Order: sequence, then C-alpha cells, then structure tokens
Amino acid sequence: MDEILTVSVKDLRIKILSGEVKSVDAVKACYKRIKEVEPKVKAFLKLNEEQALKHAAASDKKIKSGVKCGILEGIPIAIKDNIMIKGESMTSASKYLENYVSPYDAAVIEKLKEAGAVFIGRTNMDEFAMGGSTETSAYQKTANPWDIERIPGGSSGGSAVAVSSAMAPFALGSDTGGSIRQPAGFTGIVGYKPSYGLISRYGVCALASSFDQIGSFSKNVYDTALLVSVIAGKDYRDPVCEPTEQTDYTAGLENPDTLKNLKIGIPKELSDYDTDGEILKSFEGVIKNLQLYGAEIVEISAPSYKYVPALYKVIMCAEVSANIATFDGIRYGYRSPNGISLNDEYAKSRSQSLGYEVKKRILFGTYVLGAKNYYRCYHQAQRVRTLLINDLNKALSECDFIFSPATLQMPVKFGEYLPEECDIFLIAANLGGFPGITVPCSFVKSHMPMGVHFMGKRFSDAKLFQAASAFERISGFDISKYPKI
Amino acid sequence: MSNYETVVGLEVHMQINTKSKVFCECSTEFGAEPNSNTCVICTSQPGAIPILNKKAVEAIIKTGLALNFTVNKQCTFARKQYFYPDVPKNYQITQSEPPLCSNGKLAIAVDGKEKVINLTRIHLEEDAGKLVHEIGSRKLDYSLLDLNRASVGLMELVTEPELSSPQEALEFLTELRTIVRYIGASECSMEEGKMRCDVNVSVRPNGQKDLGTRVEIKNMNSISGVRDAIAYETERQIEVLSRGGKLVQETRLWEAEEGITKSMRSKEGALDYRYFPEPDLVPFNLPDSFIEELRAQVPELPKARKARLIKECALSEYDADFLTSSKQIADYYEEAVNAAKNKELAAKPLANWISTELSGKLNASGKEISESPVSSKDLSKLVSLILDGTISGKIAKTVFEEMYEKSVDPESVIKEKGLVQISDESAIIKICEEAIGESTKAVAEFKAGKERAIGAIVGLVMKKSKGQANPQIVNKILIEKLKG
Ligand SMILES: [Zn+2]
Repeated sequence: MDEILTVSVKDLRIKILSGEVKSVDAVKACYKRIKEVEPKVKAFLKLNEEQALKHAAASDKKIKSGVKCGILEGIPIAIKDNIMIKGESMTSASKYLENYVSPYDAAVIEKLKEAGAVFIGRTNMDEFAMGGSTETSAYQKTANPWDIERIPGGSSGGSAVAVSSAMAPFALGSDTGGSIRQPAGFTGIVGYKPSYGLISRYGVCALASSFDQIGSFSKNVYDTALLVSVIAGKDYRDPVCEPTEQTDYTAGLENPDTLKNLKIGIPKELSDYDTDGEILKSFEGVIKNLQLYGAEIVEISAPSYKYVPALYKVIMCAEVSANIATFDGIRYGYRSPNGISLNDEYAKSRSQSLGYEVKKRILFGTYVLGAKNYYRCYHQAQRVRTLLINDLNKALSECDFIFSPATLQMPVKFGEYLPEECDIFLIAANLGGFPGITVPCSFVKSHMPMGVHFMGKRFSDAKLFQAASAFERISGFDISKYPKI
Repeated sequence: MSNYETVVGLEVHMQINTKSKVFCECSTEFGAEPNSNTCVICTSQPGAIPILNKKAVEAIIKTGLALNFTVNKQCTFARKQYFYPDVPKNYQITQSEPPLCSNGKLAIAVDGKEKVINLTRIHLEEDAGKLVHEIGSRKLDYSLLDLNRASVGLMELVTEPELSSPQEALEFLTELRTIVRYIGASECSMEEGKMRCDVNVSVRPNGQKDLGTRVEIKNMNSISGVRDAIAYETERQIEVLSRGGKLVQETRLWEAEEGITKSMRSKEGALDYRYFPEPDLVPFNLPDSFIEELRAQVPELPKARKARLIKECALSEYDADFLTSSKQIADYYEEAVNAAKNKELAAKPLANWISTELSGKLNASGKEISESPVSSKDLSKLVSLILDGTISGKIAKTVFEEMYEKSVDPESVIKEKGLVQISDESAIIKICEEAIGESTKAVAEFKAGKERAIGAIVGLVMKKSKGQANPQIVNKILIEKLKG
C-alpha cells in the first residue's frame, strides 16, 4: 500500500501544501487502492477518477504558483451518496433516484469546494439511510474489510469502509441514529456526529429531519476536528443551524493534561443490557486505563435509556413517512410506466422503486401519525423524548462526558440482525441533539475492532474532540493498522 | 317570510403581499411563465429545507391588529399530509395551534345598522401549485403542472358562523378586502386568485339554537358569486327541509354560469391529514416589542379615516366614501390638501376633482391612482390657481387635460398656452361693448325683460376672449351696460 494512504489528513495536508507530495499522486494512490480493494468490499457507488485528477492537478498548480489555497487543498475525500454535489448523480442508494442529478450543492459541499477538497467518489449506504448495515442499498452490499462476511454497519457503511480500508483519507456521512458512529466502531475508525444545529443539513436528502446531521469518518480525532472547522457554522438555509463562535476545532487537541481534568460518566444502565462479554471486558480495561491517566470516573444514570429504541422508531418513522412522500413519480425520479390513474401511478411508482425497509418505515410512520394513534404513539414518544433529554442533561451536569462502548455487540454476518438496543448509547445522542464521537480502542474476537463513545453537552463539540483526542493517545490502538484484504 | 334562518361562516384565503414566497426566495409575481418562479425548495428536491419569510408573519400580525385580534406570541408549524400533484412535498406546511391571531372582530353595515362579526382565527400556510388538465382535447392522457404558486404565503381567516344573509356575506367580504388592502397585507384580487373563499352554509328553523347540517362551497372566486351561492344554497336547503327531506353534510361547487351549486363526489371516509410538528421549522416566540412595532405600522383604517375627513375637510358622506375606498386614493387626496395654499378652501374642490375628472380619466385608461400622470401636488396647484382667480374653472379643465396627457405642472401649461384669466376690467369692458354691438337680438330680448338672453352675450364675450375673461366680471359689466 502506498505510504500516502497511511498518513493522517493532518500530515497529508502539510505534505501537499509544502509540495512534498502532489495532490495528483495522493488521488492516484486512492484510485490504485480502490482498484485493489473495492471489488471485495464494494464501498463506492460511483467513482469520478477523471474529474478528481483534473481537480487535483489544478490544486497542484495553485500550490506551486503560490496562490492562496484552501484549508483542504488537494486532499481527497469520499462523500456519502445522500449529499448533493451539483451536476453529479445522487441516488441515496435508491432505485427511485437512479437517474437523479443534483441541481445544487449541499452547504457542506460548498464549503469543501471552497476549501479545495477533491471528491473521489460517492459511497454506498442503506437506502435513504434507512438501515444499520448497508444491506438495504438498492445497488450493492458493502462488506466489513476486517471480515468480509460481516456487515460494516450502517447506514453510512460505504464511507466507513472507504476510510477504514484506506481508499480515502476521510469521508462524509450522515448520522440519524448512530449511522456514522456505529459503522466507524465496526470498522475501527473515528466517527463523529455533531451537535444538532452545528453543521447545515441543507442539501442532504432528509431521513428524519429532527435527528439528521452531517458528520465525518477519519483515521484520527484531529482529522475530524480539521474537517469540522471547514464545514461547521451558521447557514441561513437551515433554520435549525445555530451560530457558533468556534471556528478552529483543532485547538487544544495536544494538551497532555486533558484527561487529568476530566470527569467521565459511565451510565449505570450499561449493566441492564446483554452486552458482548469481550466488549464489556475490554471496556472495563479502558476505564482502568483512563483512571490511570488521571480521569475521574463517576457513575451516572439516565433511567429513560430504556425507551430509546421505541421512541426513536416512532418519531423517526413518522418523519420518514412525510419526508419520503415527495418521492411520488411526479416531478423527478422513477415513474412507473403502467399506472392507470393518479393514485395507481403513485402506488406503482413507489412500490416499484422503493425497497422493503423504506416501505416498512413509511407504513409504520403512517400508522403512528394516524388520527387514531397520534396521541398514543407519536405524541407519547415526543413526551418521552423530552423526559430522556432531561435525564441526559441532568447526567451531563454531573460529568463532562457520558462514556460507553460504541455498540453493545460486534458486527453480525450478512442477513443476521443486531439486537435493537445495540446502539442505544449512540441513538440517545441523536434524540437529544448531543454531539458524539466513537474512537477505536482495541481488537476483540479474532481481530475485529471495537470502539468507545463519548457524548457531550450540546455544542460542546470542541471539548469533545479534546477528550477523544486525549483518549486516542492512551488507547494503544494502532491507527496505521489496516485490514488485510 | 321564511320560517328558516341562514347561518353562514367563511374561510377566506388571502395571498400575502410579499415579494418572495413564504418558504423560499422565489418571486410571487403573477402571470410569469409556468414554473419560472421555482427553486429546489418549492419543487421539493431532496435536501431542500424551508426557510420562513418573516415579512409574511408581519403581514398577518398587522392584519390581525387591524381586525382587533389577539396576537399569539408563539409561532409553530405543522405538516398537513396528503398526496396531490400540486403539493410538491405531498404535505403542506401550515401554522399549527395556536394560530398567529385569535378572536378578532369586524363590524359591517347591515341595513344602515352596525353588526359585529366575530372572527375565529388567522393562520399562515403555503399555497399549492396549479394543475392544468387538457380537458376537451384529444390529449386527455396528461395534465400540466405549474408550481409558480406553490409555497406562496397565504393567510387563512376564519369567521364564526354569524353571517345571516347573502348580503351580509357580501358586505363582510367587501369590508374585509378594503381593510386588508389598506394594510397592504394582500392585494385581494379575486380574478388573480389572490383572495379565495370557502363558504359554509346551513339553515335552521327560526329560534333553533343548534346549527343545521352544513354544506361547504369550495373555492369561490368572486364576492358576488359568494352572495349568489349563499342565496341559492339557502333556497335549496329550505326546499329540501320543507318537503321533509334530509340534508347531507357535503362539499359543493358553485357553477357560476348556471347559477347553482353541485355536489362534489364525496370521498369514502374523511381524510386523515396526519398532522405533526414540522421538524425543520423551529417554534419561536414573538417578542412584545416586535408586535408593538407592527402595531405602530398599522395605518388609520378606512372607517376612522372617513370620519376624520368628513370632520376636517367638510366632505359629504359620498365624497368621503369614495376617497377612502382605497388607501392610495385617500393618501393622494390628503397629500393634495396638505399641499394647498388654503387647505380649508381647497378641500372640497380637490375632492371633486379627484372623484370626477381624475378618476374618470384613470378609469378610462385602466390606471390606478398610484400611476396617475398628474401628481397630487400638481392637482393641488391647479385648484389653488382656480381659487386665487388666476384661471377660471373652465380653463382649468383645459389645463387639466394637458397636465394628464403630458404629465406636466399647471403653471407651465398656462404659460405655454397663454391661458391666464383676464381680470383687467378695462380690457373686459372693451370686449363687452363689442359683443353688445354684435348681439342686437339678444340685447332687445334682455331689455324686453327676458333676462336669460344675457347668456348668449356672455358666451360671445367668452368666445372673443378665448375663454380667458373672468366670467364674474363679465357678468357684472354686461348687466351694468345693459341696465345702465
Ligand atoms: Zn422556490
């Protein structure tokens, strides 16, 4: 494997900007690696080699001529296929959008373009981000590079695999209920979901609007912080996006004393679940290690964790049923050729182009919003959501971060299912709008990686990076270790 | 006398007069090329997110304040879901409970008496697009979709069922339209679809408290249509009930050409809109200061203005009605009065000039007063020139013609055409003597006691002076000469 692919974005950036490494060579290295690995893992839906090389050459020219360069000038990045790039196809891994071409750039893409990043391809995902395994994609299943018989997690599985198997230095994903952090955990990389409202959702195909956030995959926390410095910030086109003063998220990451000043909360509820024995054992080791480096460990409690799977499902599906309604075959996307009336046209277009998981969620969402069920299901779930947020805020007032294993189980084989409580500590962050980051910590079970999860107060993202970065330094996980595929 | 009384409630949709749509930045211009005023948001492309146009909220609050509503400080939105091709998202974003405004009042005049109609609410919502069906052609296999109107802001005003006749509904809608136009919140032009109305009509035996079975007549697009539909529906319902029949709660359509309502095919079961809070638009609170600022911007309403004008300018009821029929006319009038040298004297003639000459010309050329080629200041000058005797009323008409045609001020017309009134007595005496000399027949008649004959001599003097002789002086001199 080319050495360029093993360095972090932090170092690659310095090498490219100094002219030591050419952007073109970095991009070429990515495609060379993609050609070797992609047939086995199928992480990409579309590659744009020609265009990427052109862009890289332009970046190199820019750097050579001394023109002011972007923060990520010439650095390759992979983009999940539910984010709009003007003039490029955007399928959200659905047949419905098979021929759809984005008419505009998502806010994050505008910012990445301005920063000079090179888009190398669109990554596979669960259809419309519905799923937790990247198996519901209408096009292909992505495999976990550590064991290609296993799922990489989802819904941003393609982006996770692109980074974890060194086909791209970093990638964008979207996280609605752990969709970045779970696959990052399953593939041994850093996955981050921002505070709700930190990064604009404008131009991202909506799944559940009140949870969706754009986030990142990278090899280390610094790279995440660097990317967030580029894509965060107020955008008037996303009304939930809030202004923040922070512009540089990489500051303070090297502070050797971070852990000494941290109070880390471990949820008491962790013991309520059937957690994989090796994960639990490994996690206990991690806690001891943290203490050893000076972190204070406290037990916290959020009794409403137990409602997370149910209330997430109700609210998410409700929002899905409305968001996906726009895919009706009228204005764009798939239209059935054999509808015989308006309603028949709707029904056929949607049944012929949407996958099983999508239909299941639409039906469930329609059910919970129906006049008969609204109060019993949807309204009740919103009330419980408030309860959970209050619980978590209270817990977060007793510690700096809530700390847990990223997932309670290891990735299953294709066709098998994870228990629904597997991701509750991740999903809780989406329900409350809290920032969360998963960091790999060790290998368990015949060399499958496992990750841990930090969740902080809303808009404490910068501090979250500092804690995660400090943890990264002591974890002993070798980030340059790539799966042998 | 009928044994039944009519009960009418209205739901009025008015297009909010903002330059851009309520959830995107597209233009709201009427009559643009189909689908030219669209963007990724109002065509519901993936990744699009609505952004609220604050001006739309302001327009509704101003309307609410003008109609004595209580303004609710909390603003929340919901998704109202139903599939239809003119609703690009397949849900409509509508303001949810509480509405922006609740419990308003509007007074209307019924047979010379005032009746107050209670208003339930005003809330904000977005409009749908327009489907054009190729009906009557061989191309029945398709429909065309124009989304220019999709996501244009609407305010929906709902009344209590307190109107009790077709005439009351007509008075109500006319008064409402005048006020809303005064505020500038909507143009309310029904022909452009900027004001639409759903009418709920029921009848009940006199004295009964409970409401009868209600029929909804959808999408009325003229005020007279509303009146006629209520009249028809009242009769139809009474007819059904008096022969022992039963009414069904249904939606009907008004067929203007036939002058009847027709039942729309009723759907199986009621629609379940599956409302839920719009997750993309965060609920927000309106600060008191914001509402107070808007209160200060609500203009004096037509009724108050009319009363003031009658008092201040000594106008007739008729003139005041006309002048306050639109804010633009009233503003024009008051600007003209304020510009006059002698406001008291100018007030009445200015009212006349505006209601007859100016509005006559504007009507003939299909122009609004805001497009008048004669400015309020110039009209004011013209009237001042008449009042101080510089020109006669007759010359003024000629001057006005020029002013209107060429959009020039009166002084330059008078100067250019030499139209100044002759008030110099010696010059007039000379012309009078000439005229008497040439009017032997009229002079004889006058002397024989037929005083009216003087008219012919005056006419001749005016002709000789090209209309510039001061008519009062001409009269005075002629009488002196003829009687002397
Ligand atoms: Zn638009």
